[in-house]
Amino acid sequence: MMGRLEIKDLHFSYTENEEILKGIDLVLDQQSTAIIGQNGAGKTTFVKLLKGLLQPTSGKIVYNGTDLSSMTVAQIAKHIGMVFQNPNDQIFKNSVIDEVMFGPMQVGMSKEEAKVHAMDALEMVGMEKKCKVNPYDLGLSERKLISIAAILAMDPEVIIFDEPTIAQDYAGKKCIGEIVEHLRNQGKLVLTIIHDMDFVAEHFDRAVVFAKGGVLLDGDPKQVFSRAEILEKAFLEQPNVTRLCHALGYEETFLTTDDFVEYKKGQ
Amino acid sequence: MKSISLYEEKNSTLNHLDSGCKMLYMVAAILVPALIGNKWANVAVIVLSIFLLTISKVLRKTIPVLSVSGIVILTIVIIQGMFRAGNTTVVLQLGPAAFYKEGLLYSLGIALNVFNILLAICVLIFTTKPSDMVENFIEKGFSPRLGYVFISIFQIIPQMMETMNTITDAQRSRGMETEGSLLVRIKAFLPLISPVVMSSLVDTKERAIALEVRGFNAKTKKTFLNERKVTTTDKIINLLLIAAVLASVAWRVKLWLG
Amino acid sequence: MARIEVNHLKYRYPHTENLALNGVSFQIEPGEFIGIIGKNGSGKSTLCQAFTGLIPNFYRGAYGGNVKIGEINVRDVEVDELCQKVGIVFQNPFNQVTGSKLTVYDEIAFGLENLGLTRKEMIRRIDDALEQLDITKFRDRNPFDLSGGQMQRMAIASIIAMNPEIIILDEPTSQLDPQGSEEVFKAVQRLSQKGITIIMVEHKMEKIAAYSDRVMLLDEGKMIDFDTPQKIFSRDDLLEHGVLPPAFTRIGRGLGRKNAATGEYPVTLNEAKEALEGMAV
Repeated sequence: MMGRLEIKDLHFSYTENEEILKGIDLVLDQQSTAIIGQNGAGKTTFVKLLKGLLQPTSGKIVYNGTDLSSMTVAQIAKHIGMVFQNPNDQIFKNSVIDEVMFGPMQVGMSKEEAKVHAMDALEMVGMEKKCKVNPYDLGLSERKLISIAAILAMDPEVIIFDEPTIAQDYAGKKCIGEIVEHLRNQGKLVLTIIHDMDFVAEHFDRAVVFAKGGVLLDGDPKQVFSRAEILEKAFLEQPNVTRLCHALGYEETFLTTDDFVEYKKGQ
Repeated sequence: MKSISLYEEKNSTLNHLDSGCKMLYMVAAILVPALIGNKWANVAVIVLSIFLLTISKVLRKTIPVLSVSGIVILTIVIIQGMFRAGNTTVVLQLGPAAFYKEGLLYSLGIALNVFNILLAICVLIFTTKPSDMVENFIEKGFSPRLGYVFISIFQIIPQMMETMNTITDAQRSRGMETEGSLLVRIKAFLPLISPVVMSSLVDTKERAIALEVRGFNAKTKKTFLNERKVTTTDKIINLLLIAAVLASVAWRVKLWLG
Repeated sequence: MARIEVNHLKYRYPHTENLALNGVSFQIEPGEFIGIIGKNGSGKSTLCQAFTGLIPNFYRGAYGGNVKIGEINVRDVEVDELCQKVGIVFQNPFNQVTGSKLTVYDEIAFGLENLGLTRKEMIRRIDDALEQLDITKFRDRNPFDLSGGQMQRMAIASIIAMNPEIIILDEPTSQLDPQGSEEVFKAVQRLSQKGITIIMVEHKMEKIAAYSDRVMLLDEGKMIDFDTPQKIFSRDDLLEHGVLPPAFTRIGRGLGRKNAATGEYPVTLNEAKEALEGMAV
């Protein structure tokens, strides 16, 4: 089944006088979507609402026809997975395989089923050979991959990443980029909060810009990143290639170096 | 503000008083009634502390402190009032429960002592910046490391609570129930506490290094940015407080001898 | 001003088998802006900590060769003595806040109090550091109430106030949003212009290319190369060392556009613009 999230006039505030989300209307389906924006724009609050970790002050979130507020956090976890920013915030088992099997077993898979899913997930992140290792003996970027596998193994229809590329080197980013595209091609709905615009340009189908608790821009990355002035007002940058095209005064927007090189060669 | 420090800047007279002065007040307020050994002395000091808390605009903050200890005191009053050995004079009969004068007076003494001590401590901590207090100690030769631990706890605990919340969210997101029966909570304990311990260890190591490169272990004698101003008023109050303590010692000695 | 000299530096962390640094030698002149790049685990952070004496004095472990800051051999002095010459700023701004001070102003004073400076000198240095990092307006705020970028600038100000000649920054912007990173980069650039030696580890190659005088490439504890950004990023084997060159270099390479005079690919936006201008749109 494919995941579809409908967000209707979503408001949220922690305290009475400060509204964090001021009426979000979005339909999220079938695409990999990046949520970008300055810190404090409401991105984290938004994804916490999608996970049921917070309850809206008004408005609602409908997942495949069901109002999320009628589901418990544990029920939502079956359908919507989230990889937190810091893998150290979730890892607690003594072996990689046990860690990755924890989530699937929590959402009701049998031990055998969980093991199959866990091994598949570890394979997808390229860590299947390390399944017996203690996660704390691994480096931070490998632990990150374990935390991703731990969510993938639960086989949710929607997967949310929170800043997946922080402190990752080239190999790490490449691997995470491949995971994002793979999941998307499997028909999963992939969402991410992210500051790395080059990564968004390379790997995502849609970009939603949050600013001051509302949606400022929404569209495919090409449209969104072509709006230099609006991005600047939201304290965001264009991807590097886009900036170069802009500086050269090109009408057309390019997102990746390959696209640009291809285009120039074709002339 | 993410601080759990009990101190709040109210620009009051007591805020401006030297921390040493307020520490001395706390000591005197506890010692004097104890030395005099009279309930009325306790009452007088309690009234004085309440007055000081009121003019410092922090009386409200004592309510949680007093109500928590009030419950404990109440149980003492009930138990001592009913069952204290040597209870003979019934003053109150509530159905089958009889309260005796001796027990009640005894527990009243305890109550007055406890409230007096608590209020005296409140006068100090609600009106004094923790760092002022600790710097004062360090100047007198107290270990700067212990001093650091003492002050930083007020700010680092809220940070740890935040980490704890994130971890709870992360594990709930993996389908773990954290609320419900005792069994559910026990099961949730390990997945929550292990990441907390691990991330605190990481944070602590990083913070230790950050302190190290800012000369925390330097052998030079520490100086302080915030000047400690001991005014004439402070000195007069200190003298009065010392005089009060000495007078009550004298009183006590006289009682012994006489 | 002190010159940095590293000779055959080898280091292994306690309870590990592989060398984190394996025979690294180089010199850095006063006032240079150095970028250090390489994949995770290549020895970048270890090298940073070796400049400050944290390695080996804090971590222990097996150590060979030497690091000299001017005439001082890092290994022979205490960390707190060296911290007045070499300052270091880490990735996570939260963990650099002491947690014992209630205002930004007092927070910056922490290191100065430890050094036993006079009150007058402290105030002079704190005011100056606040100014340089452009955070004077936050001086009375609680350190934990700042945004990531502001907090990181406060961490840098706390180090600057200690008057070091050299500042090491270990991925100072990786936890920040684009605006926060930009604030930090601008601040660091200002310090560099004042003559302070800057050594920065960073994964954002476009930034490294734009700011560095020279770039050091590390892989598996060895120094592969140490040269101008143009030379380093024009290397054919960068991907093999786990580094993706800046977007501008990739475009230059893809289109075969080099700087005619130097024969190197462009590394910054401006260089790429120059190299591409004149090509038909």
